[in-house]
Amino acid sequence: MNRTRIILRKVAWSVFTIFFVIILNFFLFRVLPGDAARAGIRDPRLKKEAVEMLRVRFGLDKPVINCFESLNPIELGSCNVNPLDTQFFIYVRNLLQGELGVSYHTNRPVAEILSERLWNTVLLIGAGQIFSIILGMALGVFAAWKARTYLDYGAVATSLIAWSLPTFWLGIILLFWGSSNGFPLAGKATPGMSSMPLLQQWGDIARHMFLPTLTYTIVYMGEYTLIMRSSLVDVLSEDYILTAKAKGLSAFQILKDHALRNAMLPLVTVIAINLGFTVAGAIQIEAVFSWPGLGSAIFEAVERRDFPMLQGAFLLIAVAVIIANFLADLTYTWLDPRVQVE
Amino acid sequence: MQATLQTSEQNNSLAARLLVFWRVFKKSRTGVIGLGMLVFMILVAIFAPLIAPYGRLETISVSDIYRPPNALHIFGTDDAGQDVFSNFVYGARISLTVGFFAAFISIIIGGIFGLVAGFFGGRWENFLMRFTDIMLVIPDLPLMVVIVALTKPSLLNIIFVIGLLGWTTTARVVRSQTLAVKSRKFVLRARAIGAGRGHIVSRHILPMVMPILVVQAVLVISLAILNESALAFLGLGDPTTLSWGQMLNYAFGRGAMSAGAWWALVFPGFGVVWVVLGLTLFGQGLEQVLNPRLDTHHLMPSRPNVRKEAANAKPIPSQALLEVQNLSIHYVNEGQLPARAVENVSFSLNEGELLGLVGESGCGKTTLMLALLQLLPSAGQIVDGRVFFKGVDLTALNEEEMNKIRWSGISIVFQGAMNALNPVRTVGDQIAEAIIRHIPTYPREAIPARVTELLDLVGIAADHRDHFPHQYSGGMRQRALIAMALACNPQVIIADEPTTALDVMIQAQILELLDSLRKKLGLAIVFVTHDLGVVAEMCDKVLVMYGGVTEEYADVDVIYNDAKHPYTVELLKAFPDLTKPKKKLSSIPGYPPRLDALPAGCRFAPRCPAAFDRCHTQQPSLHRIGTHGHIASCHLAEVGSTVPLRRIAPRTQK
Amino acid sequence: MSKEFLEVQGLKKYFEAGRPSLFSKDTRSVHAVDGVDFTLRRSEVIALVGESGCGKSTLALLLMGLEEPTAGSIKFEGMDITHLNDHQRKQKDLRRKIQMVFQDPYESLNPTQTIEEIVTEPLLVHGMLNTPDREERVTKALEDAGLKPADVYRKRYPHELSGGQRQRVVIAAALVLEPEIILADEPVSMLDVSIRAEVINLLAELRITRQIAVIFITHDLGSVGFFADRVAVMYLGRIVEIGTMLEVLEKTQHPYTKALISVIPVPNPRLRHERIILQGETPNPINIPSGCRFHPRCPVAIEACALTDPAMVTLSKTHQSACLLLVK
Repeated sequence: MNRTRIILRKVAWSVFTIFFVIILNFFLFRVLPGDAARAGIRDPRLKKEAVEMLRVRFGLDKPVINCFESLNPIELGSCNVNPLDTQFFIYVRNLLQGELGVSYHTNRPVAEILSERLWNTVLLIGAGQIFSIILGMALGVFAAWKARTYLDYGAVATSLIAWSLPTFWLGIILLFWGSSNGFPLAGKATPGMSSMPLLQQWGDIARHMFLPTLTYTIVYMGEYTLIMRSSLVDVLSEDYILTAKAKGLSAFQILKDHALRNAMLPLVTVIAINLGFTVAGAIQIEAVFSWPGLGSAIFEAVERRDFPMLQGAFLLIAVAVIIANFLADLTYTWLDPRVQVE
Repeated sequence: MQATLQTSEQNNSLAARLLVFWRVFKKSRTGVIGLGMLVFMILVAIFAPLIAPYGRLETISVSDIYRPPNALHIFGTDDAGQDVFSNFVYGARISLTVGFFAAFISIIIGGIFGLVAGFFGGRWENFLMRFTDIMLVIPDLPLMVVIVALTKPSLLNIIFVIGLLGWTTTARVVRSQTLAVKSRKFVLRARAIGAGRGHIVSRHILPMVMPILVVQAVLVISLAILNESALAFLGLGDPTTLSWGQMLNYAFGRGAMSAGAWWALVFPGFGVVWVVLGLTLFGQGLEQVLNPRLDTHHLMPSRPNVRKEAANAKPIPSQALLEVQNLSIHYVNEGQLPARAVENVSFSLNEGELLGLVGESGCGKTTLMLALLQLLPSAGQIVDGRVFFKGVDLTALNEEEMNKIRWSGISIVFQGAMNALNPVRTVGDQIAEAIIRHIPTYPREAIPARVTELLDLVGIAADHRDHFPHQYSGGMRQRALIAMALACNPQVIIADEPTTALDVMIQAQILELLDSLRKKLGLAIVFVTHDLGVVAEMCDKVLVMYGGVTEEYADVDVIYNDAKHPYTVELLKAFPDLTKPKKKLSSIPGYPPRLDALPAGCRFAPRCPAAFDRCHTQQPSLHRIGTHGHIASCHLAEVGSTVPLRRIAPRTQK
Repeated sequence: MSKEFLEVQGLKKYFEAGRPSLFSKDTRSVHAVDGVDFTLRRSEVIALVGESGCGKSTLALLLMGLEEPTAGSIKFEGMDITHLNDHQRKQKDLRRKIQMVFQDPYESLNPTQTIEEIVTEPLLVHGMLNTPDREERVTKALEDAGLKPADVYRKRYPHELSGGQRQRVVIAAALVLEPEIILADEPVSMLDVSIRAEVINLLAELRITRQIAVIFITHDLGSVGFFADRVAVMYLGRIVEIGTMLEVLEKTQHPYTKALISVIPVPNPRLRHERIILQGETPNPINIPSGCRFHPRCPVAIEACALTDPAMVTLSKTHQSACLLLVK
């Protein structure tokens, strides 16, 4: 089986997973007892006409899917509904048009709000992941190199503690420290900055980003350090490292040319599996630092019972994680020749 | 009567097993610390009413908001005037309860899924694992947030949600362990005697999966507690209780920051850190007991070579190509007696000669070979003796100088099992690497041709140059290792059991190759093996080792037809001879000594058919027999002169 | 006697390699065992010799009923046992009468079981746990396997024993059911030379004291020289030569057997002899060569060898070999 076949298979699987998430998302919000839409509809703040419009727009007056108006088995007998005329189909159709509903809280389209916030989260997670991967790898390599010395034990102990910290709590502690040390308390940018020159704007964003990114880095760095360390120690105890030593290569050469690439493979796998968890961290960090991203969108939506927002944000996050997972999977296939050529 | 006998036997064995487990677990400091931390917090939770000075959620007075820690409130007060310490102590109950119960659900589901998928395979496995993969990709916390937000945030609900979403990694881990156990020979043996599926699962699979499951359980509990506190912090905790996460939710949301009330923020979170850290450390300790890993690798710093004789004693110059003089090697492990792996071994090798190093497992032959190139693992140390190569004392060189001689002067061919070559680099690449390292003046463009030439020399087609090791067969890999060993034109090649795992025909091919290379290039070869037939076919001289000591050293003809050491004689009797198919094989009763518990006196004495009383108390010295360099370490060979233990003069060439 | 003890005819086992998918339709099969015939009498010892890829281990699994044959038949005491399922095998007592000893003593024992549990397990599986002489049977099995006194070993765990002792435990577990055939798949290749003879001698003894027939699979012809009655040499899934030990060693007929015997090292430097070293490696059983499967590597192949698949030629009452050069 050659590479294209493997890649096509993985694409198909990702698409299937996304579809599964869409179905899951739909049913969660329609079927669960805290019936989302209807609860929203009952919101006294909405005017009657607006409620009717919403009902029609989202097909809330139609049956959910084929004949399951209420999942009541007695009613299954009679079924003369056009399947295209169901809530589910309307939902998917809307989805494909980029329509995610309207926020109950702000009355703005969810898609619009989320697209503004998406990049803020990407910025935060991106920066945090890059730092935690680089620092984690560096510390892990160092610990493996100095295996069984006090430096190693210290690095491992620090990593274990870092891993055990609840993300939001670390954020709170850092925020507390930061607030009395001149760091901004919330948000992404100081109000009124948008009129300043670009460089100053970026500087301002950087100051706001510092603490959240630091939180992110500390929490995830711990795990990467531990994985890198054990993976590198495993690799360095393999027979081919002894062969390399017998060939007269220096320790540094062996590390660079033989060990690192092999040791990184498990790390890539872990980073991929971790993608779901990094989102969990993002939600907590954005909540603590009021960073305007997808994570805080979820947090705020929960607070305000803004179900369309919650549904849309969840879907977007899940799809993003699935795609990122796919990319990480591809990277692994590219790195490990044993997978490529069979 | 027999039934009760059985159960009491079983009880004993369970208690006995726990005791053994505890004894080993005690050695892991991290594990014990973790267990202590856990037990402490569990006790705090259990005895909460006795420890807390104030009642549950008891408001002291509304004016007591955000008081800093003082004598009355050692953790201060919170936004509602309640004692933070009391709430902390009661909060432990919530966080721990949710954590343990949710984890319990996850472990049961994950364990069953993994076991069923791994054991039954086929459609079950397909379906379960696909489902697990999907659930693995979907991010946990957002899904939990959504479900709890849509249903009501009661404690039971939260337990179920966390439990029903936390089984994915457990399922995968249990499945791969089940698969691994299922393919092991003892399971096949159980099937062969007619054991049914139930028997195999309960008696063979489960006991081997349990340790992994236990370690995994610890991890799952940590994650459940972290998830609960995150959910609570995000406002999704049960409003009728007050977990640590909820305490933080209230504090954060109600101005603790601006009030500077650090105590309301630090202490509740610290509780989570304490429990999770305790669990993690406990898990580390468990792993060390259940899946112990050897935490050493090849790049760890090695020990310095020492020598017993006085520092100003001059070494005897050697004229042989490779000469080993009185080499002794110990393995040092903390808190234990050193294992005397090699003691006072000497031999010499000249150009074009082939020395056979014969011994069974544990005799020290591999240790000896590694020591020649200063490749001992970090626990190994040369404690006496010298190694001369072309007159240079290798034991006195530093790492840099040694690196120059490695491969270009002496190279080594390991057993070509999958991992002697780096699996992610091409074979040609790894051969070229040696050339680049030792012959820096070699023109870069000419290297690929040279690699092809080397591969051709060992009978590997040119198109295999850019293939990976896993694309080579076993015999080809061994030949590739030989090609690589020749890359820098060494004078000596050490072959460490190069044909042991290969078929007899492939072995013949490799041996013929080595022999022709030796004649063509004038190589000297040290051939390490346990196969006396191969030694008879190929070698000029033979060194027989047992328990780290030279038992006999002589020309090949002498060893096979005039051996003086009982071990050599017995070994020959135990080795099958196709020209005498009806000869009954003899065996040597007993087994080789442990290198850290060597017998006093001769190491072979416990198993020797000719041993007498002196053999058990005094180690025999290396006696010279005849005039052609025949040495035997046996009291029975003590005829006339005894060569003192210190020096053995190099053998002149015939 | 008209009923042979064990009779194997035309036994074949093909494995599928590669599955047809959307992109390719071919299914290729691995001909692991490709038509094997032989018989075994009570208390007889036959050695199955061959290199990797010759199918000897698959043949063992077929005889044990752990793999389902693709074609051919196996008859035990006249009864056709080729396609019985697990339950039927147990009913017919096959799982008791035919036992197996594997190659790797370190993998054949469950590390969480004591020696006593291991040797008692077969009795448990066959519902013989509550017989009054249960303990005696275990003791006898352990001591017959050379672990004397049995009580010293009962409570020990596998990791406390040496390789040779572990292999004896495996044999004891096989003996406790009083089998009639023991299938030993390379039982000593992972043991030290000085220990091997112990285990081999033990099997030789059992053949006499308990009248157990032994099928001894090995790649090392020399080790079974003294106690095997007959030898069958396998290549790529077929038996190419079969006969008594002396016939095969001294009146060798098949070119492969001749080459194999010539390259087995002899522990006597004065007997350094001419070796017939075959080139290349045993072909992959997916691509069995046409005609005689050995012809690409055969030093004396003629044109006809690439076209015709030779049948077994009878050379004596006990000696047969499949080579076109013998058909004269």
